[in-house]
Amino acid sequence: MNIIEIKNLTKYYGKIRGVIDLSLDLVKGEIFGFIGPNGAGKSTTIRSILNLVNKTSGEVLFNGRPLEKNDILSKRLIGYLPSEVHVYEDLTVKQMLDFHEQIFKEDLSIRRKELVERLQLDETKKVEELSFGNLKKVGIVLALMHNPEFVILDEPTSGLDPIIQKEFFNILLEEKQKGTTIFYSTHVLSEVSKICDRVGIIKNGQLLKVEPVKELIDKNLLYITITSKDSNKIITDLGIDTISSSDNTIVFKNTDNANDLLKKLVKYDIENIYIEQASIEDIFLHYYE
Amino acid sequence: MFLRELKVNFKSFLIWAIVSIFLFLIVFLVYPSIISSDEMGNLNEMMQMFPEELLKAFNMDISSIDTAYGWLKSEGFVFILLIVGCYAGILGSNIILKEESDKTIEYLGTLPISRTKIVLSKTFAGLIYIVGLVMVIGLFNLLGLTVSGEFDVVQYLLLSITPLLPALVVFFVCMFIATFLNKTKKMLGISLGLVIGSYLLHTLSGMSKSVVFIKYFSVFTLADLRNVIINVRINPIMIIITIISSIAFLGLVIYRYNKKSLV
Repeated sequence: MNIIEIKNLTKYYGKIRGVIDLSLDLVKGEIFGFIGPNGAGKSTTIRSILNLVNKTSGEVLFNGRPLEKNDILSKRLIGYLPSEVHVYEDLTVKQMLDFHEQIFKEDLSIRRKELVERLQLDETKKVEELSFGNLKKVGIVLALMHNPEFVILDEPTSGLDPIIQKEFFNILLEEKQKGTTIFYSTHVLSEVSKICDRVGIIKNGQLLKVEPVKELIDKNLLYITITSKDSNKIITDLGIDTISSSDNTIVFKNTDNANDLLKKLVKYDIENIYIEQASIEDIFLHYYE
Repeated sequence: MFLRELKVNFKSFLIWAIVSIFLFLIVFLVYPSIISSDEMGNLNEMMQMFPEELLKAFNMDISSIDTAYGWLKSEGFVFILLIVGCYAGILGSNIILKEESDKTIEYLGTLPISRTKIVLSKTFAGLIYIVGLVMVIGLFNLLGLTVSGEFDVVQYLLLSITPLLPALVVFFVCMFIATFLNKTKKMLGISLGLVIGSYLLHTLSGMSKSVVFIKYFSVFTLADLRNVIINVRINPIMIIITIISSIAFLGLVIYRYNKKSLV
């Protein structure tokens, strides 16, 4: 069942492109990785989902219903952690979390206490005195303390130390087990392969690919190194675009099935062949080059 | 949300109230020595030399500045109009734009609270502080006048209320203009320009019959101090215009805010 359906989302800031015709469905209970470089349209997509910016065209459905600006019931079920957390600096962390509870008009104390303890957050400190990392922790507690069904996280781990990062991933995996859907926007590709079920790659405002993380890693990109006196013939016959070529050794990317490639290579005199699976970073760069 | 707005805007209210009180405190402290000095007669003579239109513009033709109350009627309430007007303009701008300027709107905008409720919470908090500033200045001057000598209490109370009328319209107009912008810095100049420009138009309109129509472009026409001084009553039409304008601009603010891209 889809919790979020983004249909033909387009956003222009005047003449400047934000996102172009982006369509995407998020399945209930999945962690969806959303990766792309700066200016690709990640934050615009997020802000359009949350109605913080007006869409040029397209719509976003939440639980099958259009997600409108003043849809209070749906907003109760959504949590959001922006890449830079800006909350009320005149308040202490405790007062900030109290304010959040008052807006939701329900007792969130149990979940709040658990998150505060696990993230080692000091509630007595003033928000304006917090470091970037501690501010991020406040943002995480605010995004999760009201037990949302759908959570949007924009660059969530920046500023967090490795111990808190580990705890944060544990919290996310527990959320996933509870059925929470998580939209995880990041530059840190290793995080995507660690916790995401599917990944969407966005470039120049367009969604290039949506694929299960495992399949993206397993199937799509291999680095092949071949040493053969037929290397020039292999390049010509197979129409290979090499990454490097020296003496009889060639290196190239293969996006086809590895089995098909091996069948094609049988007829050549191969001295050595080395097949290396691309990392998620390599895959990412492959789509951006 | 409403309590939060009250808290956020309390400090600036306090500063405006203290500065206003300080200003009028100086007047009440200094004025007795001015009116008892020998130069007062010369000043009165000098005033007679001013053109009638100019005296009229500052209500000096119907009040004398040889008492503290007379000074308040001629010049003091002009200061009050400007002080309350500037406060209302800046407050109206900031109350809408502060969240966007501080980027806290990215948090507030995702909470389960409608944009209309956000605007109304901010509006009610702002109204309380504008009324509060008018009351603080009014009560302080009442105290000062009580100590200084005789004065018409009813006339004074009505005069004290009148700055509220243009201030409310300025507040809502500035809120409305602020819905088109994203930064408080840009709005500060606009709100102060609106108040001072409007006051200049009001003053100019009284200087010649040929430009009297200009008064319809000034919110300070709503204060109508001259009518209150002469007739000891606030023109109900001014109250009606203030209420209708305020409601209309509040409606526009809500409409615009609901349409606005917040980040």
